[in-house]
This record gives sequence, C-alpha cells and structure tokens, in this order.
Amino acid sequence: MAQTNVKQRQAGFAERLIKLLRRIWNCRVLYLMLIPVLAYYVIFKYIPMYGITIAFKKYNVFKGIADSPWVGLDVFKKIFDSRNFWEAVRNTLVLNLSTLAVSFPFTIIVSLMLNEVRHAGFKRVTQSVLYLPHFISWVVVAGIATNMFNMTNGTINVILKSHGMDAIPFLSHNGWWIFTYIVCNVWKEIGWGTIIYLAALTGVDESLYEAAYLDGATKFQRLVYITLPAIKSVIVTMLILSISKMMSIGLDAPLLLGNTKVSNVSEVISTYTYNIGILSAKYSESTAIGLFQSVFNIIILVLADWFAKAIGEDGII
Amino acid sequence: MTKTGKYHKKDRVTLGMVLIYIGIALLALICLYPFVNVLAYSFSGYNAVLSGRVTFYPIDFTVDAYKEILKRPQLWLAMRTTVIVTLGGTALSLTLTTLAAYALSRKELPGKNFFTAVILFTMYFGGGMIPTFLVVKNLGLYDTLFALFVPQAVNVFNFIVMRTFFRDLPESLEEAARIDGASYLGCLIRIFLPLSVPIIATMALFYAVGYWNTYFDALIYIQDPNKYTLQLRLKGLLTGDELNNSANLEGIGTQVMSQSLKMATVAISTIPILVVYPWLQKYFVKGVMIGSVKG
Repeated sequence: MAQTNVKQRQAGFAERLIKLLRRIWNCRVLYLMLIPVLAYYVIFKYIPMYGITIAFKKYNVFKGIADSPWVGLDVFKKIFDSRNFWEAVRNTLVLNLSTLAVSFPFTIIVSLMLNEVRHAGFKRVTQSVLYLPHFISWVVVAGIATNMFNMTNGTINVILKSHGMDAIPFLSHNGWWIFTYIVCNVWKEIGWGTIIYLAALTGVDESLYEAAYLDGATKFQRLVYITLPAIKSVIVTMLILSISKMMSIGLDAPLLLGNTKVSNVSEVISTYTYNIGILSAKYSESTAIGLFQSVFNIIILVLADWFAKAIGEDGII
Repeated sequence: MTKTGKYHKKDRVTLGMVLIYIGIALLALICLYPFVNVLAYSFSGYNAVLSGRVTFYPIDFTVDAYKEILKRPQLWLAMRTTVIVTLGGTALSLTLTTLAAYALSRKELPGKNFFTAVILFTMYFGGGMIPTFLVVKNLGLYDTLFALFVPQAVNVFNFIVMRTFFRDLPESLEEAARIDGASYLGCLIRIFLPLSVPIIATMALFYAVGYWNTYFDALIYIQDPNKYTLQLRLKGLLTGDELNNSANLEGIGTQVMSQSLKMATVAISTIPILVVYPWLQKYFVKGVMIGSVKG
C-alpha cells in the first residue's frame, strides 16, 4: 500500500517534471528574448555588486578586484572619521529634505488645482507647459539659472536693482544657494510630479461627488471628504518612495549649480563620491560610501514601509 | 478625461475657481518664462545685453549669436555625437525593453517571477559609481561612445510600464494567433507591437531625452575632446572654459557677446526636445499613468 503510494508519487513527480520541461521547451523563444536583457543586468548591475567587495579591500589597480588584499572595515573607519564625509551626508539630507518639504505639498496642491480646471483647452496647454521643464537637461537648467540669478547682471537682480533694492547673492551665499537649488528643482519637476496624482484623481468615482453635492456638501467639504481620501494611498506611496531616497541625490544638479563659494552646502554624497572616486581615484573609499548610501536607503525604505503598514496603508514592498 | 458630471454644471463661477485658473496660468508662465528669457537674450544686441535691459523680448534684434555658433565646428561635432548616441541608445533600449517586457508579461513562462525579481532588485540595490565604472573600463568601453548608452540601456521603470501594458492586453488576441500557428516572435511583431504604438512612443521619448540630456556619463567616460557630447560642450561653454579661449582670439566684446552666445547655444541644444515633445505629449501622460497606477 505504502509502496504504491510512493510509486504513484514518483510517477506524479516525473509527470510534472516532464510537463514543466515541455512548458519550458514551448517557451524557448521567450527565453531567447530574455537573454540579452539578463546579460545586460548581469554585466552592468550584478557584476558591479560583486565589485562592492573593494570597499573591504585595499584596491590595487594592477592586481584587480579579486587579488587585492582584504582589509576588513578599515576603509569604513577611515570614511567615518572624515569630516568631509559627514558634511556631505548633512548637505545631502538638508537639500533633499528641504526640497521635499517644498515640492511634496506643492505638487499635491497643484494637482488638486489642475483637477478642478474644466476648460479642456486651457488644461491641455497649461499641462504641456508644466511638464516641459522635466525634459530639460540640468546643464541647460543650470545655465539658465546662472543667467537669471547672477549677482551682477542676472535678470532677477537687474530687476531688483532697477527698483532700488539690493542684489541678492542667489548663487554665492550658502542660504540663498539652497533656496536657488530648491527653486530650480521645483521648477523642473513640479508639473511632472502632478501626473501621478492626476491619474489617481481621474479614478475617483464621479457618483460620490454627485451624491455629496445633492446632500449639500460644499466644494471644500467634497475636497476633504472625497478627493483627499481617494488619493491618500498614492500620497503615502509617494512619500515612502521620496523618503527612502533621502540619502541619494542626483549628481547633476548640485554639481552644475554649485560653485566653490558654496561648496560648504553643495558638496553632497554623489559629488563627494565623484570627487574622491573618479577624480582622486580612491576607488575603495568611494565604493564604501556608495555601499553606505545603498544600505541606508534600504533601511529607510523598510522602516517607512513598515510604518505605512502600521498606520493601515498599503505600503510598497 | 474632463469631468462633465451634473454637479459641475450647477457650480457657479466662484471666486475660488477664478483663483485656481489664475494660479495655474501663473504657474505655467513661471515654467515658460526661463525659455522666453533664453530666446530674448539669444536674439538681443550687444548694448542691450551689456546694460542688462533684456527681460521678456529681444532688444536690438540680431542673429549674430547664431551666426557665431555656425562658426564653431566643435559644437556641431558634439551635436552629431549626441545624435548618434541618442539614436543608437534609443534603438538598443527599446529593443531590449520590449523583448524583456513581452517575455515576462506571458503568464505561461516558467520562472517569470524569478527573472522579474532579478530585474526589480536592481532598483533598490546597486554596485554604485565606481564598481560600474570599473566594469565599463574592463570591457574596453572607456572613451568610446558605447559607454554612453550600453551601460544604461534598460530602465527598470520603463520595463515595468511596458510589461504592465503587455500583460493587460486581452489574452484572446494572442491565443487565436497561437492556435493559427504563429510563433511568439510573430505574435510580438504582428499583434503586440501595432497595438503598442502609444507606449512605445512614450518609451522612445523617455529614453531619447535621457540620452540627449546625459551629462554625467559623458563626464566620467569620455576623455577625447572629439567625442564630447553636446551637454559636455555646453557645460564648457556656459562656465566659460571655452569662452576664455575665444575671448583671446576675438578681443573685446566677446565677454558680453558671450551672454547671447551662451543662450543661443542653450536654445539650439534644447530645440530638438521642444520639437519632438508636442507630438508625443498625448501619449506619455497615458504611459506614465499606466506605470504609476498599476506598476
């Protein structure tokens, strides 16, 4: 009795295996299609992950990654003892948090405003214009910003001076530079950021509004009790995503907007990694900082996700 | 898209609505103004720029700045390089992304979750700048144009958007073709691609703009000035590294002329995007929505 059971199970297993192999064989063309992409990911994403080991080694260009000697956590000790590193961390967090504090609520407000616009033509044109800056390179944005915010002959300071006011050092004073950085970022991404909220807003059931209207709810009440709850999960998701990227910062913006006068606030992790990694060829240090950044981001992501779930939201992982 | 429900018609024109329209219009103007400023500078005359009178429109209209650009072969070489990288990169990216998205959108593919996870994982964790740089260098791509598009060929977000799109197309479409003996490749080319024009246009725009605007990759991977990309040249021009040379050659006046020249160069390097953009705009909003809502 027991034996036949085993036999049956074996037969069942063999059958399933053959079925699976047949399915795999039937899908052979799909696997062929996957090969180039998987090769791409292995070569350019997973092999570099192996390269992270040089954060724990004294990297020697001639020996290569594998043969360089292990040094344990020496590289990390060196970094964590460096004041420049902590300054870069601080600047990254300051720029990211202040940009988020401005752009996050602003994006939602603009989305809600756009959602109220009924005139199709007006909506289409303004949306096109609002999305446009997203497609402009940082080199160009920085060029335009310099032209407009320049102390001596920038357009804005020229206007200020012609009205008898003092010129503002938008690009050369620490505080004002952060202001300019935020302005440029918000200018570039505000419109683009609304797309996701507008998508969520179009999904709101129209009959809810009608019912609320018939019950005598004001526009503001409809906003608070219908619209905001409807996009709450998108808001939470976007917030988690933004917060989990707190330690990452695009290199282009601080590098291109920054200058030697404001390097105290414009030297962020990405520019620091670039400076010591590419320019000074300190590969181990630079890689270690990259690893610190990745691990920090993942921890924040998990924490934020856990928090979102704790307050009854969906979370993202 | 526009909501024309009953309750809206009953809403009178309120002060709030007027303020919303004004607010949005103002915001659009703020988004547009820097471009206007750039064009105004690029077409303005020497004295107007010198005295800082240019704000909204050209003063002492002239095309001298554009004529000056024509005299700079380096800029055109950089433009050509960028066009090559953009075309090559977009073609490669679209091919790889489409193939992967199609294959991994097929429910019957054994192991599709594993392969998808392999791709998604790279969104959260990566080797970072230096290890990637070393891989590119070891492959012999350093200081070649390939370094500007091969290492960043596939974007995970674009992949998700496309896979979601393929997955949500009706299954019956493919089933019928499969029963008629069409291969997967045949299905992809004859059934899926024709239905995916909007999404492919969106992806093409995203990839192309990405390649066109890339600054950092060119900065770290390109050494030979003959292979400089447009953004690299532009940066050199804007910060004055290259202007100083021409100032020596052309004498006084260049320093102020440079302001117009810079802005004219900015205009020329941005025009290709502005030309393509309106054509694809109606597609990409939809494309991003697919990715953001369902991805």
